[in-house]
Amino acid sequence: MAFPREIYQALEDIVGKRNISENIGICETYRSIPSQSSAHYGPSEHWTPLPQAVVLPGSTEEVQNVIRICNKYGIEFKASTTFWATMGYIGSDFAIQIDTRRMKSVKIDAKNMCAVVEPFAIAATVQAEVMKYGLNINIPGVGCSSSTLANFSSWIAFGPNSISMGQGSENVLGMEWVLPNGEVLRTGSLGAGEGWFCGEGPGPSLRGILRGIFGAAGSLGVCTKMAVRLHPWPGPADFPTYGTVPAYKADFGPNFKCYTLCFPTWEAWARSVQYFHESDVAYSGHRQFNMFGRNLKGAMLNIITDADKQLSDLEELVNDPYIQKENEKMKLDYQVIIAGFSERDMEYKEKAIDYILEQTGGWKSEMMLEKDKHDYALLYLTRLGHKNLNFVMCGAYEGTFGLSSNVWKTIQVVEEAVALKRKWEVEHDSIAATGGDSAMGSLSGIGGGGATGWEFFTNFDAYDKNSVHGTAKFVDGNQEFHNKYSFGPDFCRWNSDVRHMNGYNYTQEEHNQMFANAPQPWVYAYQYKIREAINPKNLCGTYFRTVDPKCLEK
Amino acid sequence: MALQDYRAMMERCSTCAGCKFIPFDKIKSLRFAENCPSIGYYNFMTYSARGRFQLSQSLLDGRAQLDDTVTEAIHTCTSCGYCDVGCKVTRYNLEPLEHNIELKAYAVENGKVLEGQKPVIENLKKEHSMIPGAKKANRTDWAKELNLKDLFKDKAEVAFFAGCKYSYDPKLQKMAQSAVKLLQSAGVDLGYLGAADNCCAGRAHQMGFFNEFKERAEANIKAFETAGVKIIVTPCSDCYHAFKRQYAKLGLNIKVLHVVEYVDQLIQEGKIKFTKEVPLTVTYHDPCHLGRLGEDYVPWDGKEKKIYNQIQIWEPRRPRYNGAYGIYDAPRNILKAIPGIKLVEMERIREYSWCCGAGAGCNESNPEFSAWTASERITEANATGADALVTACPWCKDNFVNAVDENGNKIEVLDIIELVRQAI
Amino acid sequence: MESMKQNLVGIVGAANVFDSPEVLASYSKDESFATPMKPLFVVKPENAEQVQALVRFANETKTPLVPVSSGAPHFKGDTVPSVPQSVIVDLSGMNKIISINRQQRMAIIEPGVTYGQLQEALAKEGMTLSTSLRPRANKSVLTSVLEIEPRLNCLHQFNYTEPLRCTEVTFGDGNQIYTGEAGNGPKDLQKQWDLGKWQVHSNGPAMTDMLRMITQAQGSMGIVTWASVKCELLPTIRKMYLAPAKKSTDLEDFVYKAIWARIGDKLYVMNKAYLASLMGETAEEIAELKKVMPNWVAAFGLSGDILLPELKVSAQEHDIMEYAKQTGVQLLSKVPGVSAEAVLEKSINPSGEPYWKLTAKGSCQDIFFITTLDKTSKFIEAMYALAIEAGYPTEDIGVYIQPQHMGTSVHLEFSLPYNSADSKEAKKVKELYISASKEMSKLGGYYARPYDIWTTIQLNKDAQSYILLKRMKDIFDPNNIMNTGKLTLK
Repeated sequence: MAFPREIYQALEDIVGKRNISENIGICETYRSIPSQSSAHYGPSEHWTPLPQAVVLPGSTEEVQNVIRICNKYGIEFKASTTFWATMGYIGSDFAIQIDTRRMKSVKIDAKNMCAVVEPFAIAATVQAEVMKYGLNINIPGVGCSSSTLANFSSWIAFGPNSISMGQGSENVLGMEWVLPNGEVLRTGSLGAGEGWFCGEGPGPSLRGILRGIFGAAGSLGVCTKMAVRLHPWPGPADFPTYGTVPAYKADFGPNFKCYTLCFPTWEAWARSVQYFHESDVAYSGHRQFNMFGRNLKGAMLNIITDADKQLSDLEELVNDPYIQKENEKMKLDYQVIIAGFSERDMEYKEKAIDYILEQTGGWKSEMMLEKDKHDYALLYLTRLGHKNLNFVMCGAYEGTFGLSSNVWKTIQVVEEAVALKRKWEVEHDSIAATGGDSAMGSLSGIGGGGATGWEFFTNFDAYDKNSVHGTAKFVDGNQEFHNKYSFGPDFCRWNSDVRHMNGYNYTQEEHNQMFANAPQPWVYAYQYKIREAINPKNLCGTYFRTVDPKCLEK
Repeated sequence: MALQDYRAMMERCSTCAGCKFIPFDKIKSLRFAENCPSIGYYNFMTYSARGRFQLSQSLLDGRAQLDDTVTEAIHTCTSCGYCDVGCKVTRYNLEPLEHNIELKAYAVENGKVLEGQKPVIENLKKEHSMIPGAKKANRTDWAKELNLKDLFKDKAEVAFFAGCKYSYDPKLQKMAQSAVKLLQSAGVDLGYLGAADNCCAGRAHQMGFFNEFKERAEANIKAFETAGVKIIVTPCSDCYHAFKRQYAKLGLNIKVLHVVEYVDQLIQEGKIKFTKEVPLTVTYHDPCHLGRLGEDYVPWDGKEKKIYNQIQIWEPRRPRYNGAYGIYDAPRNILKAIPGIKLVEMERIREYSWCCGAGAGCNESNPEFSAWTASERITEANATGADALVTACPWCKDNFVNAVDENGNKIEVLDIIELVRQAI
Repeated sequence: MESMKQNLVGIVGAANVFDSPEVLASYSKDESFATPMKPLFVVKPENAEQVQALVRFANETKTPLVPVSSGAPHFKGDTVPSVPQSVIVDLSGMNKIISINRQQRMAIIEPGVTYGQLQEALAKEGMTLSTSLRPRANKSVLTSVLEIEPRLNCLHQFNYTEPLRCTEVTFGDGNQIYTGEAGNGPKDLQKQWDLGKWQVHSNGPAMTDMLRMITQAQGSMGIVTWASVKCELLPTIRKMYLAPAKKSTDLEDFVYKAIWARIGDKLYVMNKAYLASLMGETAEEIAELKKVMPNWVAAFGLSGDILLPELKVSAQEHDIMEYAKQTGVQLLSKVPGVSAEAVLEKSINPSGEPYWKLTAKGSCQDIFFITTLDKTSKFIEAMYALAIEAGYPTEDIGVYIQPQHMGTSVHLEFSLPYNSADSKEAKKVKELYISASKEMSKLGGYYARPYDIWTTIQLNKDAQSYILLKRMKDIFDPNNIMNTGKLTLK
């Protein structure tokens, strides 16, 4: 359907001529290619549909007016921030893309440890601003290049410091949200103009309809402002980075330490994690550098911490006897940061780590205590500014398996998953052979411990179609494993039930078929009713999983 | 290379946003976190390096067309090269700057240029200068009183190459004169190309006018070689980049120094001594083409290879240009050596410095965008509390002189050589 | 009516249906100023199936249901029927602790489980549950967490709803689901345990937090028949301190600092009337204590458990003393009239009979809402001014400030003891309660848990939330049978 002039004009009247385009070349750059970025239904070569127009609103009022126009004419819309993830892109042909780039303010209430952020305030900028006040923010595993608001409102948002700060959902206070029908909901205390400090209630919390275990990925309108809870930062007001690009490092002073803790068995590994879950010792905890794979991580760490090294040095480093020895020692590992609020606090935390290692037979990686590696890892995990090293080896990756469960369940099955991946690496050349185990992720997906959030980094080449197709086959082949242990779909297929592999939305009939058979289908029937209540014209794509209640009543 | 040769890069770009922000580890504030003036001003994704990769795919696949909007988007890039630095913080096999320029060349090849570019290129062809209206006959007027050796008549170790901006702009000519006097007073045996002095055409390259660039570059290389030049020293960062990186690819095998490198060396050798105090708090702007684009060219001829199934490496090891070894310390050494000067840094410095806005001819082809880019920098400079903004490039200086910050305030803009002269 | 009784008997059995005047009278009012209303029946279901059957029956017959889990006395009007012909669903008989898992630090409880019962069982496993301040002995833990009563330790309140995690809920439409992580698996706890799932994650099950539809809802959306709660390790060492102050504002910097430094496992502020009420066993004792106690006290506790507890406590003790010094307060093991240890014991353990808030004068009316610590003094001043105007003795006003949700906000509570037998006094307090409730709202106090008159006060300030809440009520309780009239959602 051609985009009528009157609609374009109406949108232009709202955002101004400079902030709207229907030029095909411009709109083409607002399509996602799932093999190249994070889709969670890929890898796939298809592009998402071409928007009819791209609009860049500059305020909540403009967002609201754009959405009203969409309702008037029945146009699908989707807002995105950094456009990193495919879930932020439209899923039909008669649709517009909202780019929130012009909305990026950060306002801080340091005393009450809260910041109000707009969509395009990426985590790095939020963190930089709040650190001036001795505060910090949960930066999810996706990295600081992503929007804090988008992560907290629309996806999951756990990362290295979730163990001490909680994950996205836990950190949300008041929100301002333009619903798909054009109404503006202000949650909690904000609704009555009393401030941003509480996002719950009055009475049942309406924020509950806006995000659950994960967010609705932009399918419930546009969150335009969010108050996020901040956390203490006993470090410098800005990062004292040093080193030559790209091997930036930082020394935060004697009250910060980043250890790579290693264990002889998964059982010992899990026991140590449980200690961290049950105490307040860890400031951050992540199995991070194993993303490069069990066989390659030692060598890769020597590359990324040295400005003059590159991937061409990889084979030589992998064969280096010292690195081989150190690599072997850190086979079952994770990184943990401790932050001392005082000298004594630091002393306690250091001793607590020693005690945990003593109780579990673990040790600290010596290589990772070398100053350049220590300072690199400390900076890396605190800001997650090198997060896009995910792509360094092959240009593309997918998180596979996704063993996000309690730590004791995870460790029982992890080696089986490792073996499956290793077998594929050996028998096929579609994915990088990194050593099977490339499991990485948060030590705790929720505040205070209780659930790991893991994925196996599976690196492939988006430019090489054989690699793309082979990776897809690898993922499909693993589903039996997931079914066996009730892990649900593979991590990189999580969104396969909300968008077709060709980039288009599902129909309601298709969703009915999928979710009518869920273990507790009324969950999706209620979501259908919620959508009907706030998105009666169903204008934001099909990431919001629903089943028509009539299908359950039959 | 042609545009289609960048396919692998286009498809391996992962929309990570590294090309739009200063290295994330370096971010100190929301206000000065971003880099890439182009998307900064226009806001659409298309204007970023990532958008340009995607636009290229669409152009090559026949979905997008080189219409006026797309042409403007392609050319509205100062080729400042920040995207290259940001990208390479985590990626080793993408060349966003090279691609941006190649995309411009693709548009040029297809006859798609901006109106404002035409007089610049016409003048390059006709008068061998990229300053519209400048006449070849007047090119060396600035040097008349300087007792510079004409290297086609006389011998000298060092060729001083002023570049178009210093040669023609009456407000800037005295800087070039000061630089020459400074070097001469330090005992440097200095000459110039005289009648053979022509535009380096580096900006033509950065604008995607490859043929025009190549024609001038080859003529200039021949001139340098014929004149027996051992060292080229230039006060212009654009010329510096052109000689050091682009000419080197075409076979120039002569040592190239920016005047700040030379002066720094002379200070260290005790050949320049400061006698006067300059009580000033200054902040220093790293010119893109001196800083991150000022790294040495290293010849390489190799190909991609995959190891461990899919890990992409270069065989042999390929040089990586990511701004790590640009010229950052020499100008700072000079400032620190001048008595009374206090140097305060802006947030975006060295390899992640913000562009002045004049790069790749944008000051001529899209003055509004260029002025906004300069204004951003003035805002950042004023945020430091400095009395003056110092730089080492005439294009930067000229663009800053006319700019005001977001509050309408100006700042004194100084060429680093002016400061050196004041202290002697 | 007889037919209804037969139907109810058919669902829960004759022994569990009550309609004697005495029983009905006991459920017809509470300690609040809510208008008394006699229910038609009281039923005591024994399991979730019976609850679901009751809700389905209520839908068919449009019978209002009022869920009650704690024993009397109730204080907030939420268990008093708002409409005639209501049936009380008393869940106090469903009091099993379904499971305790030390490895996951999780417990699953039925609605009738009390704090005393649960803490005793958890202690055997080396665990405890964070608690609200000195709960009633017969207080349902499930109701306490479902209604988001403030906890003494805000620093482990990662989620606003902590320590509540998953639930089994029968919504007003008669459908029953598990909320949170549990909603993603088979609807059978044993099967979930067999799969290694321990109902840990409260969000979801999918893109909606179903839990948030039932929290702070006063039973107006559905009935919860079990809940999983996150437990903590039982401390092996505890230290408690009291910081006395003349004014509440003198304690603000200290409280902010302790929150920032993430130190301690107990932190709250009380004025002397509140503290005396908490500590005094008799009205006389309370009166005496008020004479000697400091105007304000911040209570601060440290603890250690399995990970080098002595070292931890000694390090933190040193640090908190330093922070106290920096912020101009003194941390003491006792203040006039009370020791810190005694305050801790009273705070964390269930109340004896009568409930401690009734000791001073026999009745008590609370006004509580959420704000931020830096604004509390404004409310306190206003409350005192209103009391003076109303002729209520300001020295009797108890004030309790409980930081919550890791310190981003505080629960501010005014407690107004009075003698309900004295009708003049009761009238005065009622008027003060109404005027102060309105004034606090005007000043920015946020009634997140909008009981009684606060519903109207709060929702009238937020039309959009009100409209949407009504739509949610239509979804989850389309026939308006769940605690009909509460939250004025219909």
